[in-house]
Amino acid sequence: MSYEAIAILMFSSMMLMLLTGQRVFGAIGFVAVVAAFFLWGDRGGYDLGFAAAMKLMKWYPLLTLPMFIFMGYILSESKIADDLYRMFHVWMGGLSGGLAVGTIGLMVLISAMNGLSVAGMAIGATIALPELLRRGYDKVMVTGVIQAGSSLGILVPPSVVLVLYAMIARQPVGQLWLAGILPGLMMAGLFIIYIVIRCWMNPKLGPVLPKEDRDIPLGEKLKLLSAGLLPLFIFFAMMIPFVNGWTSLVESSAIGAIAAFAAAVAKGRMTRRVFETSVRKTLGISCMFMWIILAALAFGAVFDGLGAVKAIEGLFTERLGLSPWMILILMQLSFILLGTFLDDTAMLVIVAPLYVPLVGALGFDLIWYGVLYTITCQIAYMTPPFGYNLFLMRAMAPPEITLRDIYTSIAPFVLVMALALTLVMIFPQIALWLPNTVYGN
Amino acid sequence: MIGFMKTYVRHIDRMNFLIGRVVMYGIFVMMGILLWSSISKTFFLPSLWTLEMAQFAMVAYYMLGGPYSIQMGSNVRMDLLYGEWSDNRKAQVDAITVMFLIVYLAFLLWGGWDSLMYSFQYGGERSSSVWRPYLWPVKSIMVVGIFLMLLQAISEFFKDILRIQGHDMGPKDVDETRLTNGEENA
Repeated sequence: MSYEAIAILMFSSMMLMLLTGQRVFGAIGFVAVVAAFFLWGDRGGYDLGFAAAMKLMKWYPLLTLPMFIFMGYILSESKIADDLYRMFHVWMGGLSGGLAVGTIGLMVLISAMNGLSVAGMAIGATIALPELLRRGYDKVMVTGVIQAGSSLGILVPPSVVLVLYAMIARQPVGQLWLAGILPGLMMAGLFIIYIVIRCWMNPKLGPVLPKEDRDIPLGEKLKLLSAGLLPLFIFFAMMIPFVNGWTSLVESSAIGAIAAFAAAVAKGRMTRRVFETSVRKTLGISCMFMWIILAALAFGAVFDGLGAVKAIEGLFTERLGLSPWMILILMQLSFILLGTFLDDTAMLVIVAPLYVPLVGALGFDLIWYGVLYTITCQIAYMTPPFGYNLFLMRAMAPPEITLRDIYTSIAPFVLVMALALTLVMIFPQIALWLPNTVYGN
Repeated sequence: MIGFMKTYVRHIDRMNFLIGRVVMYGIFVMMGILLWSSISKTFFLPSLWTLEMAQFAMVAYYMLGGPYSIQMGSNVRMDLLYGEWSDNRKAQVDAITVMFLIVYLAFLLWGGWDSLMYSFQYGGERSSSVWRPYLWPVKSIMVVGIFLMLLQAISEFFKDILRIQGHDMGPKDVDETRLTNGEENA
């Protein structure tokens, strides 16, 4: 059997096994170790799975993963970000659609404090959403705002998705994170422009707060601004030692986790229950990630050994005569398509080992592609029928938000995100300018 | 046979639960090591051992904590079809497909055992860093962790068999601590 045929057989049997609903890491790991065993036998084939475990251990930046997951749970479980919402509420309420704009701002700040979209989702759905509904905001629009805003968590540093990508693409995490900043802010900006235009055309979507709500003495207003100190404190506690070269990225992530923990204790929110829940869920999610990466590394190693990437590249460029750009665009489209059906973590693992080396072989910048990859992940997070955010939203949102509302709410935001994706594709400098400037390339 | 499976499930689940409950605090061990690493680096001489020690702690964390994460149902499944099935159907399919998981873990254990045996040879395999720690302790933890995962996977298999036969084995993939805590959702 030719190597291409083996690669295709492996890929299709994995897809088939995933469809049975078995735990993702089991299905991927099974295909990897069995394929390795048949290809290379008991001399070098059987220990491929365990070799991946040793490789995983030696990959230092992976330690940031449990730290950021822990930080995210501390933030969402202890609800120390409540005041942040109030700050935006008071300061932005006077604008038409201002609360929705403020919610995007809130999401950007939360994204800067943790690496997943779950924390933003939890805070958005339980604190911001009921408040927005009470003020007569259009329920479909605000549902979309919260989903789109919380998805920024994986693009704005610290980002867990970029850490995983870095592992697979063998790129430095620091540069990838810097590359995520401008596209993340740009995307937030596009969301805000969209909201402002929608509300300007139809003010009923986002009514201005009544006068008595806005008549808060200036002193009170300024005092609320201090809520913004919390994310700044956590962010700078992490970033100052890192940027000055006092600590490594991993050490900074631990400092960030400690800072978040200390903030929750200082605010008196670290109850026994919050503590236990955050610690337990951190274990669950970290294990989920680690075991999936473990299986994916084994799968990727078999693919590497087969030279499957070269074969697929040859198929596209020579036999089909496609240009690198056309292949890239086709890849992003198929990625989004897959993302609508696959769970996001599964997709991360299936798509990355296949696409990332191909992108490299085609001569594209892998830091830049990391940003494209993450934005595509964000879109996949949100699109039905299967999106992580959709399920979370259904679980957390108030009962008057139906599944139908959730589904319809995302459409315009997905279009805005697709626009952001296109912009970054056409103008790579949006992503690359900052890392190039900082690292002086 | 039914009796044996029930006893097995009870004991293994209990053991892995207890191990997981201890290991989950490992997050603070990692935080402690990394914090010490930053402090010693900034104010004294940088420690040589922190980097690898943190890595070992992380390996222990996810290997030994893995079985508990299976119990909590943290491991994602692709629910395109699975999500629509009845509990009985899920148990039936899982009872077959859990073999993927068992085979994968068996291969991991095989490779791990071999690698562990190797680490005892030639006066003990050491890491290539400056600190040069022996590798057998961390490899032992890995092998134990994989073995516990295997025991847990078999326990999941038994639970599905028992469910098919109409025994009440509790809800599937549900974190029971969460239920007793009265948390309502994810």
